[in-house]
Amino acid sequence: MRLPPQVVRLLLLTVGIVGSYLLAKFLLTPASFGQYGFYRGDALMEIASHPIALAGRKACAECHAEEVEQLAKFGHKNLSCEGCHGFGQAHADNPDVKMEVLNYSHCVKCHEANPSRPKSHKQVNPKDHFPGDKCTECHIPHAPSEVP
Amino acid sequence: MSGEITNIVVEVMPHFEGYVYPNEATHQPLWSVLIVLYPYITGLVAGAFIMASLVRVFNVKALEPVYRLSLLTAFAFLLCAPLPLLFHLGQPFRSYQVMITPHLTSPMAIFGFVYAWYLMAVLLLELWFDYRRDLVEWSKTTGGFKGLLYRIFTVGVTDTSEASVKLDHKIGHILSIVGIPSAFLLHGYVGFIFGSVKANPWWGNVLMPIIFIMSAMVSGIALCVLNYMILTWIRRRTVDMRCLDVMGMFLFYALVVDAAIEGLDWIHRVYSAEEGFQVMQYMAREKLFYTLNVGQALLGTLVPLLMLGGLQLFRHRVSDLARRRMYFMSALLIVIGVLAMRWNVVIGGQLFSKSLRGVMSYKMEFAGMEGWFMAAIIFVLPFVILTVLVKLFLSEKLPTTAAPSQPAESPA
Repeated sequence: MRLPPQVVRLLLLTVGIVGSYLLAKFLLTPASFGQYGFYRGDALMEIASHPIALAGRKACAECHAEEVEQLAKFGHKNLSCEGCHGFGQAHADNPDVKMEVLNYSHCVKCHEANPSRPKSHKQVNPKDHFPGDKCTECHIPHAPSEVP
Repeated sequence: MSGEITNIVVEVMPHFEGYVYPNEATHQPLWSVLIVLYPYITGLVAGAFIMASLVRVFNVKALEPVYRLSLLTAFAFLLCAPLPLLFHLGQPFRSYQVMITPHLTSPMAIFGFVYAWYLMAVLLLELWFDYRRDLVEWSKTTGGFKGLLYRIFTVGVTDTSEASVKLDHKIGHILSIVGIPSAFLLHGYVGFIFGSVKANPWWGNVLMPIIFIMSAMVSGIALCVLNYMILTWIRRRTVDMRCLDVMGMFLFYALVVDAAIEGLDWIHRVYSAEEGFQVMQYMAREKLFYTLNVGQALLGTLVPLLMLGGLQLFRHRVSDLARRRMYFMSALLIVIGVLAMRWNVVIGGQLFSKSLRGVMSYKMEFAGMEGWFMAAIIFVLPFVILTVLVKLFLSEKLPTTAAPSQPAESPA
């Protein structure tokens, strides 16, 4: 039986399209794809090679031992330094690079009144409590229960 | 000082109420307006294809004037269906890797297979078999770039003998029959993606694929009504009122079923009043009030139902002009209402916390990759493509030999 011309042409076209796809798949699939799982194996090294942004409390303590010791005695002892001060690796590498300036928004992240927070957690409505933006005028973040 | 101000601006808390988990307190939901467009455009494709199938499979002769326009509409929108996803994913230089590393176990990756099947095995083939004889004729009579395009589209097959054309009709008919479940699969799949998220009470629902299919049919038929009326208006032709009435009738029936199933879904949610019901009530009353109650239910469903239902009862007492206006308004409202429905599903499902005790908000940005300007461009693009397709394949200057409704062996 002879196949009709349009069917023959479509079959050839299908073979061509599928063949091109398979060729593209062969040529364009990244070499390390599937090395460990359904992703590029090289991606792990690429991610690992990103510059480190967080220094960690130990690095802070090398120069700021006094502050770290003070922090450990009060309610904020479980907070990381960089949780409030921002990424510190650049500063640890070169002390001339300044850290982020502390301001009001760091405090209200945790202390703004929210009914879903436990009652034991200190909460204020910043607009009523103190309309300025300097919590540190009255509070010491490293020793929150002390008065300056 | 400026540093401090910048810090404050960056640190402004995203707006949310009640209790939300830390990972939910983000400035905008993970799936933005582009993911609203994705099921919307896919639905328009499926609906427009079903519209065309009414002619070829169910032999509804009155709809012949819109058969090819519906197919071309489905094709233009299908070409743009993956765009919102690719733009949302970002990474333009890696986007092709989605296609060359197909994943067989991820439900989301299955879209690639569903899409490829629908585009390559159903829609393109049906269009080709339907147009083949015309393409051969046009390639002989048209010169220049257009003629070259027609010659390329014939793929070198110039046989237009009676037997060959008969075969085209037969294969086209089979493709249409295959196309209906495929269209259902295409859009049912999109509903499944949402319906299978069992952790989210707004989405996790077995009715979701059916709701998506029905709303797709409604929006696709409405889009075909709009396209047909706008095209005849641009060409200064008169609208075939019989065709329009039949389209209006199918639109009405599809809308009745769609509204019934969505109503059933809500009745079920209200009666069972499961764990997440309170937050859903809050969503319907506050967060999604305009898009759900006004956009989707009132303007997108109730008003068109009344208008189209009224026309089914009193068609002969309403003048042609008034009927045309009512069909146009109904179709426009439905198209907007279904967009509101997609918004309610996609954005609504992300606006409440998994704790079911808090809600987030979403303010669309204008510019940017996920902004509404980008969404508008992606939505306009299929209309631009459709305009080119209409100029190429529905030109009034070219003679057509289309007789789509009759497979060759059917009695005349």
